[in-house]
Amino acid sequence: MRRLLPSLLTLLAACADAGTSSGSLRYYLTADPVTLDPALSTDVQSGEVVALIYDNLVQFDVDGRLVPGLARTWESDSTGRVYTFHLRTGVTFHDGRPVTARDVEASILRALAPGSRGRQWPLEPIEGARAYAAGTAEGVSGMRVPDDTTIVFTLTEPLNIFPKFLAMPVAGIVPTPTPADFAERPVGSGPWKLVSWTHDNALLLARNDNYWGGAPKSDSIRIRIIPETSTQSAEFETGQLSVVEIPFGETARWESQHGERLQRRPAIKDLYVAINTRRGPLGDLRVRQALNMAVDVETILGTVMAGRGVRAAGAIPPGIDGHDASRAPYRYDPAEARRLLAAAGYPNGFALQLWRSQRAELARVAQAIQQNLAEVGITVEILQRDATSVRAAVRNGETDLYLGDWWADYPDPENFTWPLFHSSNHGPGGNYAFIADRTLDSLIVRLRTTIDEAEKRRLAREADARIFELAPWIFLWFPVDMWATQEGLDGWKIPLVFTGQRWTDAVAAP
Amino acid sequence: MGRFLAIRLALLVPTLLGVLIVTFLLLYVAPGDPVQAMVGERADAATIARLRAELRLDDPLPLQFGRYLGKVVQGDLGQSYITGRPIVQDLVERFPATLRLAGSAMLFAAVLGIAIGIYGAWRPGSWGDRASALVAYAGVSFPVYWVGLLLILVFAVTLRWFPPSGYGGFAFLVLPAVTLGMRSVAFLSRMTRAAMQEVLRSDFVRTARAKGVKEGPVILSHALRNALLPIVTVLGLDFGSYLTGSILTETIFSWPGVGRYVLTAIEKRDLPAVQGSILFLSFVFVLVNLITDLIYAKVDPRVAYD
Repeated sequence: MRRLLPSLLTLLAACADAGTSSGSLRYYLTADPVTLDPALSTDVQSGEVVALIYDNLVQFDVDGRLVPGLARTWESDSTGRVYTFHLRTGVTFHDGRPVTARDVEASILRALAPGSRGRQWPLEPIEGARAYAAGTAEGVSGMRVPDDTTIVFTLTEPLNIFPKFLAMPVAGIVPTPTPADFAERPVGSGPWKLVSWTHDNALLLARNDNYWGGAPKSDSIRIRIIPETSTQSAEFETGQLSVVEIPFGETARWESQHGERLQRRPAIKDLYVAINTRRGPLGDLRVRQALNMAVDVETILGTVMAGRGVRAAGAIPPGIDGHDASRAPYRYDPAEARRLLAAAGYPNGFALQLWRSQRAELARVAQAIQQNLAEVGITVEILQRDATSVRAAVRNGETDLYLGDWWADYPDPENFTWPLFHSSNHGPGGNYAFIADRTLDSLIVRLRTTIDEAEKRRLAREADARIFELAPWIFLWFPVDMWATQEGLDGWKIPLVFTGQRWTDAVAAP
Repeated sequence: MGRFLAIRLALLVPTLLGVLIVTFLLLYVAPGDPVQAMVGERADAATIARLRAELRLDDPLPLQFGRYLGKVVQGDLGQSYITGRPIVQDLVERFPATLRLAGSAMLFAAVLGIAIGIYGAWRPGSWGDRASALVAYAGVSFPVYWVGLLLILVFAVTLRWFPPSGYGGFAFLVLPAVTLGMRSVAFLSRMTRAAMQEVLRSDFVRTARAKGVKEGPVILSHALRNALLPIVTVLGLDFGSYLTGSILTETIFSWPGVGRYVLTAIEKRDLPAVQGSILFLSFVFVLVNLITDLIYAKVDPRVAYD
């Protein structure tokens, strides 16, 4: 014991300087990426890292604009079915191989490989893609490579968002052939190269000096895996992270302590309660309107979320075409809600189940909704399950109400209409309200296929108005993201899309 | 001794088989569908059906179990549904981290717990003894979660003595080891105190003191050796449970061990990963118990396995 104590003290002294940080960028993810193979990436974490290592033909910048990636330019023909992409020349992968249109073709084929567990829907609009993915065709008929710098896609039908689909992680361009352990040792052409990855612990990326867009301004970026939000805050406060996302419940504390280091950005996200229109009284429009009027959204947003949100009167968030700021949200009016319920034949209310995942921030929102609905005679039982159970129940249509959120993969009104409300997307596709409305379906299909931008905006507005009218959701709010940045960090902004921050301009204080 | 070992090792087989069957059944009846977790957002029903068929999730349960068992006996725990990585490799990667944390927590608990216990038995009713009782109550009463966050706040954020979290050398180990070991400190100190008090009252201690042996040797070599049996029991049990993953501590301190692996696997309904890790961890637990039993014989010659 006498010998142990001094050595312990020496060790303690030795680690006293553990809190210093160097000039490299330090980021974090809440979970280990599932894979670093673009073709297999379906989760946000994988997508974020994939966006650092790989290039797509086109990609999103930090403000969500579609900008050139490996493709210098692209155009569609007058039918809106044929898209031609012209590649940059002289771009190489991290291993020195040149990037050609053949690699693009092979990457798309790889992502569409039969039996792949990746996310194939962004590529399925290409003619013949479904047949290839199903294993019934040798190749993808709608993909042509006339020369080393050109690739032409022919789609099954006009689809104006197709280029945005190609900016998603699944369409990341990989060298051919890819080694067997590619998911662990990725090789891309992006601004960062993977140096090491210890699962559940950290990833280290070094800058690609030969990046076509100019080498990143910092040498390296270390991405830690930190699941617990309080720990993330502690890491930031001790200088170990360049940036940290502020949980809604912590807003006030950060505003008072680190106000000058905070960034805010209205997110392209929806927070909503899906009303399953196929279940009992919920099929009645008056009941759904009553639910909207019974919930005091303004108060919940102010008290539970520290006001970090924009009240929703529809599903399309601000900043996205089709958002109509002039439309007034459902007003909080319990008396009117009761009247509507009575008119629908439920003067004494009824009982509902509200499902939510275990995300702590949603707990208080759910409780507030429960309380509000009780005031108009609707008894709500809150069912809290882990995310997978909730997802299965919601997709199978077993829930009355589902409190959830929707993050856009790409900034476009299509992303807030087609998956969420088109009748072909009931359940797994994203339409958790199981709404089926012919007018709405037709508006959504037209906004997907038109090649006229102004017409698309008009259709999006109309679709959103129709959604509001049908009340398949209790419309809550569009959340506002808030991050803190470390003193001296330059060139970093909250990205609008999760793949939009590639850290190329970011410089940390030395 | 050899015979005892052989029997105990043979008994591992039915134990582990039981574990396998129970986890398999539990996962089967638990809500949530692994395919739903695999496909992510915006899936379509056809893909879900295809994956279910590929993973043969619609086969009859006994068939699924038989197939799984067939692979397990060959040492193959299968591949993760989510990452596609071999589960054995995942566990091999993470177990050293868990081992380090469990070992450090145990060392911390053993040194502190036994020291406090001895002191309490040596000077019962003293100020220090009462304070240690309070510490013990606190140790078992405060939730790990709370203790962990508090330690981070005080020793990492405010005092800057240690990094808040992460995997690394000694500095990174201190806070999680203390957090994890707290409960054992409490148990061990009470256990040691009780056992030591009993021994200190016995004749041979009085004899030792009477013949002029100094108080130090009396306590540390005469008495402690005889009080070790219950201490070893607690150490063994706690070490076993630490080794099988400490989900909360690993999560709070971003420690890349098996506890977090199991948690992620459960959240995503990664059935082979859950089954594989539970099987592996049960094996570790049973093994630690066996080793504890063997240590008994070393500690107390009266315990013999023949």
